[in-house]
Amino acid sequence: MEEAIVKPFRKIIHVDMDAFYASIEQRDFPEYRGKPIVVGGSPEGRGGVVATASYEARKFGVRSAMPSKKAKQLCPQVIFVYPRFAVYKEVSYKIREIFQRYTDLIEPLSLDEAYLDVTEDKLGIGSAIEIATQIKDAINSELQLTASAGISINKFVAKIASDMNKPNGLTFIGPSRVENFIEKLPVEKFFGVGKVTAEKMKGMNLHTGADLKKLKETELIKHFGKAGRFYYKIVRGEDNRPVKPDREAKSVGAEDTFPYDLTDVEEMVIQLKKLSVLVVNRLQKQELKGRTITLKVKYHDFKQITRSRSFLNGIDDEETILETVLSLLQQTETENVKVRLLGISLSNFNDVKINSIQELPNDQLTLF
Amino acid sequence: MKFIVNSAYLLKQLSNINGVITTNPVVPILENFLFELEKGSLTVTASDLQTSMITELQVESKEKGNIAVPAKILLETLKNLPEQPVTFSIDESTYSVEIISDNGRYKLSGENATDFPKVPTVSNDFSAEISSEVMSRAVNNTIFATSNDELRPAMTGVYVNLGEKNTTFVATDGHRLVRYRRNDITSDNGNAIIIPRKALNLLKATLPSENMPVSIDFNMSNAYFKFGNIKMICRLIDERYPDYENVIPSVNNIKMTIGRTDLLSALRRISIYANKTTHQVRLKITGSELQISAEDLDFSNEANERLSCEHEGEDIEIGFNAKFIIEMLNNIDTDQIKLTMSAPNKAGVILPVEKDKNEDILMLVMPVMLNQYV
Repeated sequence: MEEAIVKPFRKIIHVDMDAFYASIEQRDFPEYRGKPIVVGGSPEGRGGVVATASYEARKFGVRSAMPSKKAKQLCPQVIFVYPRFAVYKEVSYKIREIFQRYTDLIEPLSLDEAYLDVTEDKLGIGSAIEIATQIKDAINSELQLTASAGISINKFVAKIASDMNKPNGLTFIGPSRVENFIEKLPVEKFFGVGKVTAEKMKGMNLHTGADLKKLKETELIKHFGKAGRFYYKIVRGEDNRPVKPDREAKSVGAEDTFPYDLTDVEEMVIQLKKLSVLVVNRLQKQELKGRTITLKVKYHDFKQITRSRSFLNGIDDEETILETVLSLLQQTETENVKVRLLGISLSNFNDVKINSIQELPNDQLTLF
Repeated sequence: MKFIVNSAYLLKQLSNINGVITTNPVVPILENFLFELEKGSLTVTASDLQTSMITELQVESKEKGNIAVPAKILLETLKNLPEQPVTFSIDESTYSVEIISDNGRYKLSGENATDFPKVPTVSNDFSAEISSEVMSRAVNNTIFATSNDELRPAMTGVYVNLGEKNTTFVATDGHRLVRYRRNDITSDNGNAIIIPRKALNLLKATLPSENMPVSIDFNMSNAYFKFGNIKMICRLIDERYPDYENVIPSVNNIKMTIGRTDLLSALRRISIYANKTTHQVRLKITGSELQISAEDLDFSNEANERLSCEHEGEDIEIGFNAKFIIEMLNNIDTDQIKLTMSAPNKAGVILPVEKDKNEDILMLVMPVMLNQYV
């Protein structure tokens, strides 16, 4: 009898800190504890926005990315706290250290969330639930913060699971429950489904994972393009995206949040000029050339867009970078906008051999 | 308009110029052949905007007219037809093309001929005549050394310097260089142009096997080649060519003479064991012995061979990219070659020992720095 080779399921944990910035402020300043606080811009003056709201504030309906003015209306007693990013970074680093006790396969998504692959853990614990519990305990006892964890066989389900019992939650969706879980999932919870796609899906009478599952792969691709293939797989519990530990720099860039919102294109151009000089310096210091140039624009309401362009050859000169970002800026709305932040970054460092351009090692001497 | 032509004859003529047509042209009409009929003569043009090729053939017709015909469908049809006279019947108001053969009728839709880009004319500012044999020799000897780095456009073509005493063809990719000189081609008004690789490849493919004169007319922006019933017009590369004479060493004191095929086959074997990205091989010349070795540390592969050679000057140990040397040895027509060097970080020069009195060929290759010289 032939024995089927079954690939063992992976064990993925998604750890998401609870109201990260706000919790740190409440930890460090006892006077904020038990009170509705908002980390972000103040409601006076320039249009401040909520970065994180404490759970006490959330009870009043205060949410991230909401204008601070609105937060104040919803909850007049809310305390506004100016963010201390350096502190959050430091804490994030300590959390990373806790993760590293169990695995090196850590993919940080931001300061406050990360995927861990614990299929094989360093301590030989074997149980992902046990590991997640230990991590949560360590975060709690060492950093006096709480985290929520989701555990499953892939990134997609783990991430949704971590959000299910917040705060201080732990949710395990085992292999046998994955399909059922996804079928019940409302479409807007799917990775990559934003407001627009969700509306479109609902218009097509697709409300849950089960509805999506009824469609053929070709139909999904027809309606949603490349993402369609991803939905097709994911709705069947197939998500093979690996947990990618961040090794070398994937991008080099520079960005600046301005003391006041820029409304004038000429001002944006001046800022981009400054940024491109900075980026070029950083690139040259690290001896890197990127094939992709990305322009990032964040508006006064914290909405953010990126526009990028890729080249055949690596770029590290100011002229090309500036020329490109300016033309990328043209592709964005520049009239009647308030720009809070501008950023330029270069990525795609490893030369892909397109057109079979020979990439020769440095020790090959040249003629000219 | 209507004409009758032998299917095999038409296929042969079209195949000669079909190489110009790219699969995804800038303007869609360039997927067509332009047919221009007048007084029993059919002129067919294919173009990619940079290069255009034109052929002329005799057909049976008294009519006059123009049409653009989809190249791929037409060629496929002709390839699959047994040789026979075929009739083309074209409705110039609807651009519909009908091909009538003994086997049946095939209808395809053409396009308006006036949409086909105009082929530039070359007022013959300068001209030269070269035999097709010499031309193809010059192209074959140089084209392999051109660069495909679009960031340095000058090096993506072959530099041709027509002088009063001789004509020089140069190709380089910045790591190696070939200079091919003919004493039997001269021009009264010396001039230099850079011909793009694609045009030369097309020329190479279409030059007939029997020897015939190729006339070249050119100005600063275009060159116009004519041989038999084929014309080719190409846009020239308008860039400054690197100062190649300066990099050719005037004195290389270390000289090794060796059989071309012996060295070539040894290098082919040794390079199997070399690192797959660097193709680095080590040449060590001591006394009258050449030792070639290579290793790939990642796979613990290594190989070495000893060959006897004639050697003048000091002993030397030098690294090269085996691919470069192999390509050069493949393109040099001689039993014995001479490799001259001066230092492990200076250019090596390969010269044929026997040569035609009318030609002078020099191939130069920059070494690879070895991390250890024993």
